[in-house]
Amino acid sequence: MVLIVNTTSDKELSKEFREILEERNTEYEMIEAAEMNISPCLGCNFCWLKTPGTCAIKDDYEDILVRAHKADQLWVITNTALGFMDHKGKNIFDRVMPLVTMNLEFRGNQMRHVMRYDKNPDIGLIYLGEVDRDYLNKWNERCAVNFGSKPLGAYPFWELKEAAACM
Amino acid sequence: MHVIIFNGSPRVQKFSNTDKIISSFAEGFCERGNTYELYSISNRREWGDARRAFNENKNILIALPLFVECVPGLMMEFLETLVPKTESTQISYILQGGFAEGSQLRCGEEYLEKLTHELGCKYGGTLVKGNNFMLRFMDEMQVEKETDGYREMGKIFDRDCNFFSEECRRFTGPEIYSLPVRIMLDILFKTAFKNTAISLSKKLGCTKPLDYKTLETDEQWSEDVTVQQRAV
Ligand SMILES: Cc1cc2nc3c(=O)[nH]c(=O)nc-3n(C[C@H](O)[C@H](O)[C@H](O)COP(=O)(O)O)c2cc1C
Repeated sequence: MVLIVNTTSDKELSKEFREILEERNTEYEMIEAAEMNISPCLGCNFCWLKTPGTCAIKDDYEDILVRAHKADQLWVITNTALGFMDHKGKNIFDRVMPLVTMNLEFRGNQMRHVMRYDKNPDIGLIYLGEVDRDYLNKWNERCAVNFGSKPLGAYPFWELKEAAACM
Repeated sequence: MHVIIFNGSPRVQKFSNTDKIISSFAEGFCERGNTYELYSISNRREWGDARRAFNENKNILIALPLFVECVPGLMMEFLETLVPKTESTQISYILQGGFAEGSQLRCGEEYLEKLTHELGCKYGGTLVKGNNFMLRFMDEMQVEKETDGYREMGKIFDRDCNFFSEECRRFTGPEIYSLPVRIMLDILFKTAFKNTAISLSKKLGCTKPLDYKTLETDEQWSEDVTVQQRAV
């Protein structure tokens, strides 16, 4: 299953995306998160040390995390600001920490956290606005390695079909 | 020289590793009479004053923890409220993180240079260093020892007003660890480090193993029960 979290208010975009996915018979779930109550990660580390696997913040992200854990792919549709994804998009990734444990290991030649679960969703981005796509791709690669999965790439909103082809 | 320092961590000031780093850095920086103002982004009530300070000053230093390879979401939210400047303001950064190798912070560092230009400012370089995760669990003496290098870097910033020197580059430490070091660390991760984590968690009142599979355990349990019931 593919989980798509739309952190923008652009409902037209998600409507168009649904049509593409239905035509392709892709098994997906779409969450409209722009108006949801999603706090930034506050870095308390409770999800590692006090209540392993459970975030201390009780808000609309709880449901997103459960679905992300079950999904094969997690795609975030995000606005961009200051040359990167905006805070709403970034919060979705910062809050993924309960899927990670505090324990460390070397994967390749770099330190990584040991993942809490055997299966982790591959990660992709769809972005609005003008940013350096190469940088977002680079970020996507590093982020996916940190989460023990594969990067699916960063796609501008006019390449929905290309993104859907990876799903 | 007067510098505006932002602590970009979302963690409350009292527990923030970045705050401890800033304290040490500022000691070195202020030794010869420099001054600074500190704003913690974790406290939204400081955002108005922080914005004003950004607008009115030409020397800005942003100290931040790496969060998923880049700027923390909360800091991003604050930055989005700034109006890009047209004057010749310089922004320099102290970027710190949990993983120890310098290469871990390069993706974040690359963004900070872009960010500076997005904000219409001049880039004063980034002081990069990892291996800071444990600071919040250390006592005062240990913190002082661990952050001593930042005191020296404060003096360098007083001297150069940027982080482009060879001393700053060397401060990062190894980009990646050699294979023998990795093998040794890997053993420590599975022994001493794991035990430290367990004892920290117990101090916080944790009753579960640190690799507890919250999202599967309860669900798995009910699935197992259903399968067993069906078998019966
Ligand atoms: C959500 C989250 C994401 C993090 N991502 C990274 C990372 O990508 N790389 C890294 O080296 N450290 C990462 N860290 C570790 C922090 O950067 C490190 O613990 C830092 O010292 C925290 O500083 P603070 O207490 O001022 O927030 C992350 C921590 C959190 C809570």
